[in-house]
Amino acid sequence: MAREQRDRSSYRRYFPPKRKYCRFCERNIKEIDYKNVDILRRYVPERGKIAPRRLTGTCSYHQRKLSTAIKRARLLALLPYIED
Amino acid sequence: MRQYETAFLITPKLEEEEMENLIQKMAEVIKKNKGKMVNIEKWGKRKMAYPINGLDEAFYVFFHYQGDTAIPVELERRFRQAETIIRYMTLRKELQASPRKRAKAMKEEKHEAEEERGEKEFEEEKESLIETEKPIEEK
Repeated sequence: MAREQRDRSSYRRYFPPKRKYCRFCERNIKEIDYKNVDILRRYVPERGKIAPRRLTGTCSYHQRKLSTAIKRARLLALLPYIED
Repeated sequence: MRQYETAFLITPKLEEEEMENLIQKMAEVIKKNKGKMVNIEKWGKRKMAYPINGLDEAFYVFFHYQGDTAIPVELERRFRQAETIIRYMTLRKELQASPRKRAKAMKEEKHEAEEERGEKEFEEEKESLIETEKPIEEK
């Protein structure tokens, strides 16, 4: 339980609990490119895990695109699989 | 004709000139197979997120091209042979119809095929039933 709370608080730092909305829908983005590391970085805080939708507010369509993009970037060592 | 994007990482141990030669060679593969190079992206030396084969850095190169299936196959075959290439990835970059549209198209196709096949299968089923019945009678 204590561990869970700590995890949650660390994610919260990246995505403070304000009004959530999909940042990709906002900019009308259709495809997420795996080469765009700066954007992908925002969705893999600290441990290098993909941040869940419930914390980032990403819509399901973009979350799917985002997760494939992150996984592709990991293959080319643009993003870490694990990080500690 | 399809659109492809191939990314590959080259060892940092190579000299600048050797690397250019290697990229040239790979680009020629596309030319030979009548493909069209749209764009070459070179990121230069970049630190990798994790070490691969004991290396921390790599040259990142991206090919954007159009052509037939033979090109990515040939490229990847060469990548596998070349020890200087640490990693590669090919993507098909086509905009596909939405899944809903594709499912609809598939359904219609299936439906038509079934209608054509329907009668034939019915007859075949009858025949198979008769065949299986026979040995039972003999027993």
